[in-house]
Amino acid sequence: MAAPATRIRSVPAPTPTRPALSDPRWLRGLLLTLTLGFIALFLLLPLAVVFGEAFAAGVGAYFASFADPDAIAAIKLTFTAAAIAVPLNVVFGVATAWAVTKFEFRGKSLLITFIDLPFAISPVIAGLIYVLMFGLHGWIGPWLDAHDIQIIFAVPGIVLATIFVTVPFVARELIPLMQAQGTDEELAALTLGASGWQIFRRVTLPNIRWGLLYGVILCNARAMGEFGAVSVVSGHIRGMTNTMPLHVEILYNEYNLQAAFAVASLLTLLALLSLFLKSLVEWRHARSSRAH
Amino acid sequence: MSIEVSHLRKTFGAYTALDDVSLSVKPGQLTALLGPSGSGKTTLLRIIAGLEFADAGSGAVRLDGEDVSALGPGQRGIGFVFQHYALFRHLTVFENIAFGLTVRRKRERPSRAEIAERVNRLLGLVQLDGLGQRLPTQLSGGQRQRVALARALAIEPKVLLLDEPFGALDAKVRKELRRWLRQFHEEVNLTTLFVTHDQEEALEIADEVVVMNNARIEQVGPPQAVYDHPASPFVIEFLGNVNQLTAGTAKPSARAAADAAKQAVEGKVTSDGDLLYVRPHDVDIRREPKSTHAIPVKVLHVFAAGNTGRVALRRLDTGEAFDAELSRVRLAELGLHQGDSAWVVFRHVRLFPKGQFYETDVAED
Repeated sequence: MAAPATRIRSVPAPTPTRPALSDPRWLRGLLLTLTLGFIALFLLLPLAVVFGEAFAAGVGAYFASFADPDAIAAIKLTFTAAAIAVPLNVVFGVATAWAVTKFEFRGKSLLITFIDLPFAISPVIAGLIYVLMFGLHGWIGPWLDAHDIQIIFAVPGIVLATIFVTVPFVARELIPLMQAQGTDEELAALTLGASGWQIFRRVTLPNIRWGLLYGVILCNARAMGEFGAVSVVSGHIRGMTNTMPLHVEILYNEYNLQAAFAVASLLTLLALLSLFLKSLVEWRHARSSRAH
Repeated sequence: MSIEVSHLRKTFGAYTALDDVSLSVKPGQLTALLGPSGSGKTTLLRIIAGLEFADAGSGAVRLDGEDVSALGPGQRGIGFVFQHYALFRHLTVFENIAFGLTVRRKRERPSRAEIAERVNRLLGLVQLDGLGQRLPTQLSGGQRQRVALARALAIEPKVLLLDEPFGALDAKVRKELRRWLRQFHEEVNLTTLFVTHDQEEALEIADEVVVMNNARIEQVGPPQAVYDHPASPFVIEFLGNVNQLTAGTAKPSARAAADAAKQAVEGKVTSDGDLLYVRPHDVDIRREPKSTHAIPVKVLHVFAAGNTGRVALRRLDTGEAFDAELSRVRLAELGLHQGDSAWVVFRHVRLFPKGQFYETDVAED
């Protein structure tokens, strides 16, 4: 929610001396009012409502909402899913970006297209795919059932769904970056006798670190906030397969507004933290690339 | 250490980058691979370095007699300098130069103190003392190129390979740096092969020039030999300016000399369609037709700015336009103006009739 505000701040102010940009005063005023009004109405006001409702019954009730074992379980599960999905995404993203930018092979553009699939597809479909694959009536569901392995309506299903929806983040961040940087530095390291691992550790990784961190932050935000795909595979078993977004929905449907908003406020805080970190990384990255 | 490549072929799909190329570079020499873009010179350099591999079963690369065709670039004992430097952007100049030493296995790696000593010595050698803590972006283009050179030398290569070493620099720095490279070569005396598309650069600093065109080597030789005795029309045209003229109906002058040359080799005289090549500085302009070789011309334009004078001329016998180059002093003596009539004598011509090639000096009478 703070994102549009940071965008605006990072755009350099137009120099008043350029005649093409000296729009009439009233027009500037109008545009500014419209923008700020929109942000206030659709972004800042709801944000205030989340926290307002969360604290509506007082600070005590707010913190009591987190003492509920189901809430604690939901928070734990959300962090677990993110803690598994994000590192896997880093490995996948770096490997994919490396393969796509440093090697030539057949079907490369097809691979790049497939990376974007989770962005194009509705998260609900993503969840359904896993139900169809691993569910009791799915392709390998009976086999899993026979071996007493539970994926759907259990933690593995939630982790799989989270991985699916977050697949593109790191790879999408790194591919353009690594394409722009080319392979010259890696080749130079090769002529100097460095091994493949040394080249990655000492040349590639330092060059992509800000892009990588940026991708990780976005990936983490999505992993924690994902609702649709996780909702389909979760089965909504309280204290077992509920993540924070699902828990908020359940509380809300039970008219437990205060508790719903309390958990929602925690999710919001995590989102705001992500945005803050993202801005920080952008700022650091801009600084370090200016130095280059 | 010598470099020897034999019968290399390299194709990229339907495109042939190298077509049965063999070359032998003598130890300790500074050799230029010269050619237009797409001639295969960079591909040849990269195959020698091991950054690219020749088509399977198509010959070999030997360094000092040893076949290195199957080795990776790190195992060949080569130093490579990239056209755009390829410095590690996140490392300081010092760390860049030390890189090749610090990635060595522990028992082959010099101690910290030894590395520091070697890097500092190299910084001195490339005249960058005191800049060790800078980042590459804080250096000028010429300085970066010298860091790249020091980094390549740090691993004590037996052969130095440079890809368009001055290609990304502006004209003035380019000139300075190439003289410096020549001097530097005298000092370190390392077998060096560099790629360039700039004939002036190749002719000025190389001991030996390898002219490439269309995936093949056209000619190999010392700069003066290649310039004075080009082996093909391509070499004449690529090395410096040249006028291409038809033998035409010009009975005297060049035609007579060319006739004699052709007669001697082929037993035939030139036909009107045969091609003559004349360097602009081999065109002697006169106000009087004193020689029987003289060809009447009209002055189209006089360019007097610059360190030599240039005159655009038109032959009155065939109507062909061509250029002459002469000293400013001589130009002033002649006092030529646009539209003037004059005569020219070709001092040296080369004749190229269908696949054969002759050259001859034109005798004064």
